[in-house]
This record gives sequence, C-alpha cells and structure tokens, in this order.
Amino acid sequence: MQIEKRFTLPKIGMYLVLFVMLVFTLMPILFMISASMMTSRQILKMPYTWIPEGIAWENFAKAIQGNDKTYIFVRNISNSLIVSTSVAISTVLIASLTGYGLAKFRFRGRNTVFMMIMATMMIPFEAIMIPLYMVVMTLRIQNSYIGLILPFLVSAFGVFQMKQFLTTFPTEFLDAARVDGMGEFGIYWRIVLPNCKPVIATLAILSFRSQWDNLLWPLLVSQSDKMKTIPQYISSFALERSTDEGAMMAAALLASIPMFILFMSLTKYFIGGSAIYESRKG
Amino acid sequence: MKKTFIIVLFVALLLPLSVFAQGAKEAAIDETKPVTIQYWTHEDPARTQLETELIAKFMADNPNITVVRSTQASVKQIELVQTAFAANQGPDMFNLPIENQYAYITNGRVAPVDYQAAGYASKQDLLDKYMDGVLDTVTVDGEVYGLPLELTNWCIYLNKKVFRSAGLDPEKDYPKTWEEMADISEKLVIRDGDILIRRGFDFRYPYYLTFFVPMVEQLGGDLLSSDGKKAIIGDEAWLKALTYMQQWGPSGRNLGSPTYKNARNLFNQDNNDIAMAHTGLYQQGRIEKDNPAFFKSGEWMVIPYPTFKDAVRDVAACYYGHFFMVNADSDPAVQKAAWKLAGFLLSHGEEYLTRGGNIIQPTKALFASDTLKNMPYSQVFIDDMARSHMIYYGENSAQIQTQIRNAVESVMLSGVSPEKALATLRASVQEIIDEQ
Amino acid sequence: MGTRKYRGIERKQARWGFVFVLPAMLFFSLFSFYPIINAIYTSFFDKRALSKLPPKFLGLGNYIRLFDPSRAASDLSFLNSLKSTMVFTLGTFIPLLIVSLILAVFISNLSSNKTKKFLQISYYCPAILSSVVAATIWMIIFDPRGLGNQWLNALMNTPGVDRRWLVDPVMEQVSTMVIYFWKYIGYFVILFITGLASIPPTIYEASTIDGATKNQVFWRITLPLLKPTVVLVSVMAMLQCLKTFSTQYMLYSNGAPRAPINVITFNIYVTGIQQQYLGRASAMSVVLFLMMLLLTLLQFKTTKSENVEY
Repeated sequence: MQIEKRFTLPKIGMYLVLFVMLVFTLMPILFMISASMMTSRQILKMPYTWIPEGIAWENFAKAIQGNDKTYIFVRNISNSLIVSTSVAISTVLIASLTGYGLAKFRFRGRNTVFMMIMATMMIPFEAIMIPLYMVVMTLRIQNSYIGLILPFLVSAFGVFQMKQFLTTFPTEFLDAARVDGMGEFGIYWRIVLPNCKPVIATLAILSFRSQWDNLLWPLLVSQSDKMKTIPQYISSFALERSTDEGAMMAAALLASIPMFILFMSLTKYFIGGSAIYESRKG
Repeated sequence: MKKTFIIVLFVALLLPLSVFAQGAKEAAIDETKPVTIQYWTHEDPARTQLETELIAKFMADNPNITVVRSTQASVKQIELVQTAFAANQGPDMFNLPIENQYAYITNGRVAPVDYQAAGYASKQDLLDKYMDGVLDTVTVDGEVYGLPLELTNWCIYLNKKVFRSAGLDPEKDYPKTWEEMADISEKLVIRDGDILIRRGFDFRYPYYLTFFVPMVEQLGGDLLSSDGKKAIIGDEAWLKALTYMQQWGPSGRNLGSPTYKNARNLFNQDNNDIAMAHTGLYQQGRIEKDNPAFFKSGEWMVIPYPTFKDAVRDVAACYYGHFFMVNADSDPAVQKAAWKLAGFLLSHGEEYLTRGGNIIQPTKALFASDTLKNMPYSQVFIDDMARSHMIYYGENSAQIQTQIRNAVESVMLSGVSPEKALATLRASVQEIIDEQ
Repeated sequence: MGTRKYRGIERKQARWGFVFVLPAMLFFSLFSFYPIINAIYTSFFDKRALSKLPPKFLGLGNYIRLFDPSRAASDLSFLNSLKSTMVFTLGTFIPLLIVSLILAVFISNLSSNKTKKFLQISYYCPAILSSVVAATIWMIIFDPRGLGNQWLNALMNTPGVDRRWLVDPVMEQVSTMVIYFWKYIGYFVILFITGLASIPPTIYEASTIDGATKNQVFWRITLPLLKPTVVLVSVMAMLQCLKTFSTQYMLYSNGAPRAPINVITFNIYVTGIQQQYLGRASAMSVVLFLMMLLLTLLQFKTTKSENVEY
C-alpha cells in the first residue's frame, strides 16, 4: 500500500495554481474596495499602496450625489431592484407554466412551439433592439417600468430548464389529482409549482442577475434620469468623472452591494444551481 | 406538422401587426388645450440649475404648458435623440451639436422657426439680432431651422504653477506654434519609465473635426474640395499633420495619448498632472465649481490656438454650436409652445453666460455687452473665434469624424504609417460623401 | 371501454396544454419573432435612421457589402469584425475551458469541504458584478499608472514599461479577453465540478482495483465521461463570447481605439445607432443570428450522438 505523502511536488503545484487563481479573481474586487476609500492622487501613486490613508468619505458622498447632485443614485438602484425582481418573478411564473404545458401535455404542434421558443435563444439582442424599441414606442411604454420589464417577461432558457425538469415529474401525482377533481390550473399551482422549488430558485436568481446587468435596453428606453437603472448610472458617472477614480470605485462598490447580499445569503442556489440541471439530464 | 407550423407562424405574425393597426397621429389643432413639451438636452449642472428656474417661471406664465426636461450625457444624447426619431417618437424640443443636428434638417425632421412664437417680429428681426453668419448653418432654402443655444470655441488653458515648476515663465514662454507646443510639453512631462505621470498639453480627443482639421488647414490642406465633391485635399498637409500626431503619441515622443484621462477634467483638479488643456469659456465655471481655490488664485491663464511654424493659413480651432430645434412631427400646438419656450430661454443670454454654464449665445447684444468683456480672458476667445470657422456640419459629419478618429488613432497607437492611414481615410470619406 | 371518453380527455388535455403555453407564445411573437423578422426585412433595404423617405430596396446589397473582400483593407469592415470576434471568442473560451476544467479537477481532489466551498465562492465573485462595474474596475487597473502595469512589470522584472493595455491593438484585445475570462471563470468551474461529481465513485474504485494509474484514470475514464459537460460548457462559453458587448463599449467610450475590438455586436451598435445605417446593421444582426443558430444546432447534434455509456 502506498502511503500518500502530504506535500508531494504535484500537490504543491496544485495548491499554487489554485492560489494564483484566487489572487487573480479576488484582486480586482479588493482593489475596488480599497480604491473606493482613497483619493485619486493616492490611487494613481506608483506603486499602489493597498491601505488607504484614512477613509475618503467624500467618494461615497459624490457617488450617491451623482453628476448633478440630485441623489438620483437611490432612485436608480431601486429601479434596478424593481425591474430585476419583477422579471425574476414573471420569468418563474410564465416559464414554469409554459414548461409544464410542454412537458406534460400533448397537443398538436407541441414540438414546433418548443423549437420556436428555443430558436429565440439564439436571437442576439443587438439584432432586435431597434425593432423592439419601435414596438415599445408604439405601445407608448417607453421610459416606464413596464417598458423596462416587458421585453424580458419570460426567457426561453427558463422554459427549457422547466421543461427538462418537469419531464421527469411523476405523472401519477397529476393523474391522481385529476381523478380527485382538481382543476388543471389548481394542479399546476398546488402540486407542480411547490415541487419545483430548487429549479425555480435557480431560475429566479439567474433572471435577476442577468436583468441587473442589463445596460443596452435601459440605455434605449429610460430617457429621463428618474427611470434609469444602475448600470446606466455607473456608466455615465464613469464617463463624467473619468478622472476621479476614487468616486468611480465608490459608486461601483455601492452598486454591487445588492447583488452581493443576494449572493451571500443564497449562495447554494448560485453555486449548486447548475447541479440541479446537471443531475436531471438524460 | 407542416400545417401546424404555418398556422402557428401566421398567428405569431398577425398578432403584432394588429397591434400596430392604429392610425396616424391626429392633425387637429387646438391652441387652448394643455400641451406638454418633451425637452431633451445634455447634462451640465450649471445650465440645468438655470434652466430649471427659467422653466418654472415659464410654466407659471403659461399655465397650459407643461415642460418635461430630460438630460443625458452628451454622447448618449446624440444617440438617443437619433434612435427616438428613428422610431418616429422624437422629443418635441432638443439641442445637439450642429454637426449632429444638420442631418435632421436635411431629412425634414425639424420644423422652421416660428418667428412670432419665439418672440421676434419677423424673420429679418431674428437675423438682425444674431451675429452675421451664425444662422447660416441652420438656414436651408431661406428658412431658419434652429435657434442658437451656444456657440463655443476652444482655446488653450494653461496652469502657471506647472510651468514655473519646470523653470518656464508662463507669460513669456507659452507655446505659439505647434513645434513649440511639442518642445515645451517635452520639458513639462514627468515620466516613470514609459508611463506619463504629468503631461504638458494633450489634445481634446476625440473631437477631431474641431481640433485636427484646422491643423491640416493651417498647413494648406482641406477636408473637402470647395464643391464638396472630393475628399481629403492636400496630401502633404494631411501627412504632415498625421505625422505630428504620430510623433506626439506613445510610439513617438510619448507626450500624450487618447487613453490617458482627458486633459480638461484633470486641469480643474490642479494635481500637477497636466499643464495645458484645450477647452472652452465654459471651463471657467467648471473650475470655479470643482476647485474654487484654484479658480480664485489666478494661477491659470488662456492662450490662443497655436499655428504651425510654416503655416499658410492662420486658422484657429473650429467653433461649434448647439441649436434648439423642434420636431416637425409633433402636434402643431406643441411645436408653437416649444418655439415659445426656446425664445423665452434664449432671451436670458447674460444669465447663461454668467451662471448657466458660461455659454456664449451669439447675439449681437451679448457680444457687445460688458458682461462678456468682463469674463476673464474672453478677448482671447473672441479673437480666436474671429480667425476660425464653423465645424464641418454636413449630413454625415459624425461618420467623417469617426473616420478621422480612426486614421489618427491608427497612426498614433497602432503603428499604421501615415500614408496608409491617409489612403484609408480618403477612401472612406469619399465613400461617405458620394452617398450623401 | 370508453374510447369516446378517452378521446374527450385527450382533447381537453390538449386544450389545456395550449392554454398554458399561450402566454409565452404571445410574448415571444411580439418581442422576439416580430423584431427578428422586421430586422431580416430591414436588412434588404438601405434604411437610415433619420430619413423619412421610403428606403431604397437593395436586395442582397447589404450582405454583399458586408462580405466584399475589397473592403477588408478598412479596419472597421465587417470582415474585420468577424476576425475580431473570432479572435476574442477563441482567445477567451479556450483558456476558459481548459483552466476551468483544471481548476475543477484540482478542487474536486481537495479533502476539505470548507476549502472547496470557499474557493468556489471566491472564483464566482466576479460573476456577480455587473459588466459595467467590471469594465470600470479593469479600466483603472489597465491605466498606464495602474496595477496592470505594476504587477506585470514586477513579474517580468521590467520596471517602468507601459504595456499599453488599452492602446496597442493586440493588448487591447488581450485586455477584453482578460476581463471576460475573469468574469466567467467561476461559473464554468462550478459547471465542471458538478459534471465531475456526477461520475459515480464506483467507477474510480473499479479502475483502481484493475490497477489503473492516476494518469490513466484521468485521460481514459474521467475525460470521456465528462464529454457531455465539456461540450455543454464549450458551446455555452462560445455563445456567451459571441454576445459580448458591454466590455468593448466601455473601453471605446473611454478613448480606446475601435478597430481591434470591433466585435460584431459592437459593430452592429455603432453602425445602427451611431452611424444610422439601420439596413446594414440589420444585415450584420442576421449574420450573427445565423452564426449562433449554427453553433447551437451543432451542440444539439453532438450531445445526441456522443453518449458515452458506462
């Protein structure tokens, strides 16, 4: 029997690689945190002194005040929260409904519908942004929450996830419920939905995250400052204050806090998320 | 299966088309009904403050008019107005730099000025109140399509402290030619290896139509032939200018580059990282706001735009303008109200100069006023304006500027030879001209 | 037996199924099908953003222009966009694939669950930042006076050299790849870890009994069984890379040259929104759409055919 030595060369190599990667991934985030507390002068001093000389609170003040001192930052972050949450909820509801319909019901054209929905996943957003913009303008919902939310009401990816998951859902339960006289919608609402919790959680988080990150659409649709989202805020803040790195990093930090809180509290859904999908494959 | 597919597709297509079955906008005119003006403009904290006040007053005087003012960063503003118009949902009143605005006139998107609504007795009255030639750029077929919000030119701001720290006397040793500009910047730069910690001067990237084309013109070249049909005239001048930029950049004498922080923002901070910046009269307001101590200390001055040593023409940096324009597709009552608003705002020229962002409205009254004369270094700006001309504002000026940007940056940053860059530039600009 | 009843239930089921999928179908027709068909339609015309005149019909004119080899000389041509996109995609997804696989293997080999979790969380952190934030941070790092130069110079013992991250055409592409790699590495590490975890340990036990070395185990057993995950990850990574936009957008807005990073999505945006050539932009969009369609179909084909059985 070979006795595994603790610190063999390959093992050290392995730890080294993992460590280097760790430094690489965390360094910019630590930089953001440390730079947010420094003045521009300090940040650009070479070499970089990671520890700030006293906390530059004015960075955070400037970050929240915005380019014209209207504190629109607060409004913009709440806009992002409202839009992302709404999209997450609507995606979950509609994707699960659709996935259920596709997985457990047989009707003419079912496969066609499924394939057409899948095809939409391949449509790059830039391809449709202008026609989409015209749709929104015609419906007169530009510069409003509806305009921001509506084009993302359901994601094809979500439908796909739900369908895959629900295909393996035991039909016996559904039939039993039908025999008991439950209506179809009741079955969906009371039996199917509660049993999808892990997939739903993952889907909700992914949708929230991708909406939070959305820059291009709000750029077109949110014309007044009050309706802008946080990526827009950061991008215009960065453009205006390109020489005030401290304030830029402070703004970046503050803008990342909501996602960070979500991540820390629901880590298992972020990390373990794909596991649900993987284990249900094939 | 095939049949189902066709049915599904049919339904999928019919549905949205029915949504758009609504008719065109109604054309009824009711002048007493309440109207709302969507006014889009670019960000500028000082001007925002002034205009918000003025608009409040306007709305109080005109209870049936509501004004909604939206701001964007200047680059975004250009794109957003365009996209909105492309979807036939443009704002009622807006302003853009003239080189981005001219296309709106030629495409019939904006309405001619409603002289009475704007507060003028007649068209002649309007022409008389403004400096000669200023309104030419927005006059097509005898009709005026915009009212000037500002006419701006840029001169060189200079930080006296930085000059002295390099052993130079700002009053005597300031650069008068481009050759001197490079040599003096060389004396002023501080580097760590290749990296510039302090620059002397750096250009106002990426506004090449404003600062680079005059450099070419000084050397005898032109952007277009006089009939506007041929692109890039005077190869020698263009090559010399491109070579100058190449020498300026990282592969030459390494005096500056578009990827460093822009000079005019750094200038305000007085952080000993830039000595000169190319910017307008409005910069003073920004300095005063960002760094009042620096502003009051008098440790800054303004000098004219340099010319080449052997220049054949004395041309300063171009001036550009912003004009208020009104959407031709807006409800006629809204259009009238918008011109009223424009006229009202513009009647406060002196306030725009002093506290509305230090912008110059090219009215005869303002140019003759003491308020303008009393602004520090205003004479430098006025003199430079006299020896320059309006920026190229043809229909596709934005695309042409992009091509020039590409040419200069490829020479400065990507190691392309000036000859090759010039050839590419000529081909692409010619194509743009031909398509117009 | 009630054949009639059977059919009745079937029909009722079919109706319900249809009802359930109807909301999504309505949504997709308005917000996906109509726009892409509109885009395809527009691509056959010379539509300009501001022009009120009816656009000129060009047939395949826009497409011919895109692929016209005589235009390849110009840096901002579509052919160069294809090149930039390819360079970016390959240069990002190949390192992503390889490195994430290596890291996943290493992490799976660790004994402490706490360390495993910690590393996964840390690697994933960049993914929760928005792309705008990521670009902002890295732009400061890539500033001539920033950490990028400092660290690289320290590593290579070349003090004071400006690597010109955002200026030199090659370095600019490298910078975008670094940012993208950084952002998505954690996501793909986790995908691989999950894939590795789904291989039953009994196989490993059986192989050790048979006397296989660690090397053999990895190359002959682990990798082949991991194939579906590898294919999934590589296609996902490729598609994600084709969709890149914010990174290039932020760099260009801050003064970086456009030609090296003029990926297709960015070219579409500039051509359509800034230069107002909507017809041309639509043609580019259609090409991108077809590319992505092709890639995804390829994925479906490969996952279906290559099912390694154990």
